[in-house]
Amino acid sequence: MNLTTALVRLLLFPGLLFAVPAAWFFMWVERKAVARMQGRIGPPFMQPFYDFIKLLGKQVPPRMGVGGLLMKAWPLLAVASAAGAVGLLPVLPASGGFEGDLILLLALLEVPSMCLIAAGFSSRSIFGEIGSAREAVLSVSYNVVFLLAILSIAASQHTFRLEALAQLPVSPLQILGVIALLVCLPAKLHLNPFSLPNAEQEIYAGAMTEYAGPELAMWELSHGLEWVAGTGLVATLIAPHVTFLWLGALIFVALSFAIVLLLSAVAAATARLQIDTTVRFYWQCTLIFAVLAVASALFTRLRS
Amino acid sequence: MNILAMMWKNLWGGSRTLVYPAHPRVSEHYRGLVRFDPTLCTGCAVCKFRCTSRAIEFQAGKGEYTWSYDPARCTFCGRCVEGCKAHALSQESACPPIYLNAGELKESHTLVRKPPAPRPAAAASPAVAGQAPKPNPVPNSGDAQ
Repeated sequence: MNLTTALVRLLLFPGLLFAVPAAWFFMWVERKAVARMQGRIGPPFMQPFYDFIKLLGKQVPPRMGVGGLLMKAWPLLAVASAAGAVGLLPVLPASGGFEGDLILLLALLEVPSMCLIAAGFSSRSIFGEIGSAREAVLSVSYNVVFLLAILSIAASQHTFRLEALAQLPVSPLQILGVIALLVCLPAKLHLNPFSLPNAEQEIYAGAMTEYAGPELAMWELSHGLEWVAGTGLVATLIAPHVTFLWLGALIFVALSFAIVLLLSAVAAATARLQIDTTVRFYWQCTLIFAVLAVASALFTRLRS
Repeated sequence: MNILAMMWKNLWGGSRTLVYPAHPRVSEHYRGLVRFDPTLCTGCAVCKFRCTSRAIEFQAGKGEYTWSYDPARCTFCGRCVEGCKAHALSQESACPPIYLNAGELKESHTLVRKPPAPRPAAAASPAVAGQAPKPNPVPNSGDAQ
């Protein structure tokens, strides 16, 4: 990938120019779908955009010292890394990429979560600290499954290059990996039944309790970008390989939309679990997935 | 699986919430804003004494009185309507309107006291309200508390 391609992917498609409106759109779809399933009308189409603009115009309480600086820095870092993760997605056929970009994508996807943990502790709010602690525990739990899923997909196809993974024919291990990714996405996106770090009516907004104005707008944006990156990662892995640019982009958007609807249905149908139940669930998932992955790998090796 | 059936029903069954400024439909006996008919009011001030939330104010003057109502304080309990023997008060069977400025729905009426109605028998007891001025005892308030 040369510099021009990298810049186009980061800034235009599927980078910021596409990802920011897509983030607002996905957040709207999720809120609207959950509302309709609960018998409510839900927000108007432009609501996430209005929220963002409204927050940008608000004042931030003055914060002194290094803690204040860090609190300003975390949301910006989260937005930058989430945008970078979206930029790495091989949406368009033959759009470049490099060996190992899957590892970079995983690292970038993890940064917003780490920023959130750090932000909660930086804010010195009791609710922020509880939210951060929950996010840390949740992160340790679901990331084992998440990383296992990604690594098993990469190992099954003998490459860490996203574009190559997206183009190769589907293997049983890849299907297993995609299912594991889908199980992890609600926790990564703080959706029910794993909405523990931002459990509203319980710990206010968790790590974001002390945030307001443009900083909160950046958190919302990074959350939306995480939506695009998370659903986009699954969409690129299951999307059929096409040669036309516009068709590839269309399939990517349609699949992402379908995944958002699926996650919304899960969120609407479930209530929040307790933290120990969540941890137990993900460790059980890890065990089941590890056994299935090893069995699948052995089966594939024996057949070949 | 019950929840999935419920969600499916909700998805296609329309929403139970409304978009602003629509109002929900209410039953016939819904207790909404208190409406005041100045032509029927006798100035007995029973409504003021029955109002526990102090939404109704009554100021007696010489030969006139001022009746005022603040819906922001009203709990829509209907005690004033029940207590009004002259049927000057009623309640709308509709949701209170949405307002943007504080006190927008307040209303106040300054009325001239009506002369007392002629009484057929001398046995009728006099007026009820302690502060009611002399020239105008309330005509039909024999059983007021």
